[in-house]
Amino acid sequence: MDYLRVIWTVARKDLLIEMRTRERIAAMGAFVVLVGVLFNYSIDTAIVRPQEIAPGIIWMTIILGGLLGIGRTFHLEEEDGAFSGVLQAPIPLDALYLGKTAANLVILCLVTVLIFLVFGVFFGLSFGSHPFVLLAVVFLALLGFVGLTTLFSAMSARTTMGESLLPVLVFPLLVPMVIFGVSATSRLFAGRPLSEVAGSVRMLGAFAILSVGAGAMLFRHVVEE
Amino acid sequence: MPRDRLQRTGVALAALGTLGAVLLLWMVFFWVPTERTLGIAQRIFYVHVPSAWIAFFAFGIVALCSGVYLWLRDERLDMAALAAAEGGMVFCTIMLLTGPLWARVSWGTWWTWEPRLVLTLLLWFVYFSYFLVRNATENPDQGKRFAAVVGIVGVLDIPLIHVSVTWMRSLHPQPVVLRSDGPALDPDMLITLMVGLATATTLFLGLFLMRYTVECLKREVDQRRTGAQAAQGA
Amino acid sequence: MTIRTCLLVAAILAISSPELLAQGTDLASQTLGRAYWHVFAAYAIGWIMVLGWVISIARRLVSVEQALKGS
Repeated sequence: MDYLRVIWTVARKDLLIEMRTRERIAAMGAFVVLVGVLFNYSIDTAIVRPQEIAPGIIWMTIILGGLLGIGRTFHLEEEDGAFSGVLQAPIPLDALYLGKTAANLVILCLVTVLIFLVFGVFFGLSFGSHPFVLLAVVFLALLGFVGLTTLFSAMSARTTMGESLLPVLVFPLLVPMVIFGVSATSRLFAGRPLSEVAGSVRMLGAFAILSVGAGAMLFRHVVEE
Repeated sequence: MPRDRLQRTGVALAALGTLGAVLLLWMVFFWVPTERTLGIAQRIFYVHVPSAWIAFFAFGIVALCSGVYLWLRDERLDMAALAAAEGGMVFCTIMLLTGPLWARVSWGTWWTWEPRLVLTLLLWFVYFSYFLVRNATENPDQGKRFAAVVGIVGVLDIPLIHVSVTWMRSLHPQPVVLRSDGPALDPDMLITLMVGLATATTLFLGLFLMRYTVECLKREVDQRRTGAQAAQGA
Repeated sequence: MTIRTCLLVAAILAISSPELLAQGTDLASQTLGRAYWHVFAAYAIGWIMVLGWVISIARRLVSVEQALKGS
């Protein structure tokens, strides 16, 4: 029970900071809307129907916007040395990781809702007739994404290269998320039967479990002084 | 094992591997029969497949040594992982460069989004980030731990990447050797392939040991230096 | 002087090689020529990469041994 309380405390602290400063969420929100505008002009609507490539664009926006904000998870704390204080706390480090991941997940979920709203309006998308399946797909993919990115942002924050390292580390590992996420959302948008989506959902689940599990196991080696 | 013997073993293995490579060249260019449908270009097979085997084999070593390194914190494991990663990257590059040469002839394009091609490219980038994080920290021990984490996450994710990229239908030649009904390869070709695999493995192990001993010496120098500095400071 | 002549001959051969190869009797010899080029390139890449690794190991070994002697 204590373990869950630790996770909650860490997540609450991070979300509180985010609510007060609104630094990351403002940057991500603005990024997402502006990328939507730019994407609109990067598609020649006389040749391609935006609805057909919208799922891919949505997922790339989630990834790029997500990296922008989540890459800075440890930035604030590293900057004023507060993170060594957090590390001194008598709590298991994997709980610390899970708390950070939970906070990031909440933030990224909010941004993703914004992405779906904005892109839906911009490109006139219909999200299909299975909102809960779509929700499950997006949630599992985001969980896996946040799991990996939180782990590697802890790493990149402590290197001399900083956030520029993050894409190199994370992008190769995100291939499953993009393939299954895009495949599932395209089929849902197109109103295909659910049986075509089941496999993707299972694989996204595997991806989420794998990345959060690996992150929880390896996090202590990353933050160790 | 003492370092001198390791080094001698490495040199011997590397020499053996070089002899094997010369033999392989002779077999490939003068001995092995030409494949009927794929033609001459099929001869690239005997360098492409062994490099692929080494690239993945070396990554196995990297991941295994990294995992145990994080657990036991034995410097030797980190050195072994580093040496294997270097060799793996060399052979991964060979595979990535020879693959398109073959693809151009047999498929008509330099690059296709074929699962095993993509997997190799991503493996190359995992190796790449392994070296990148290693050299991007001020504290070398931290770099070693980061690299180990990259290696482990990479090896966990690679099966998943493999499944996901095979989602699309495969254009790559189907397995011809490891099949339930026995190899579908001409016996002469099979022998050549085996020579290629043996050569690549010996060469890799020999150079791996040499690289490992160089790393041992390097750490020794570093230790002496810090020791001398500490003595001066005191 | 000899080097320049050699280079000149090599350049001429390189430029005219497609035509020289195309003088074969049938289409098959053309693809054969190009395919051989690919095979040679593949094995050359293999050798160069491994050789490069050997050289880099050797150089590091030399510098490390010098450092050991120096200290």
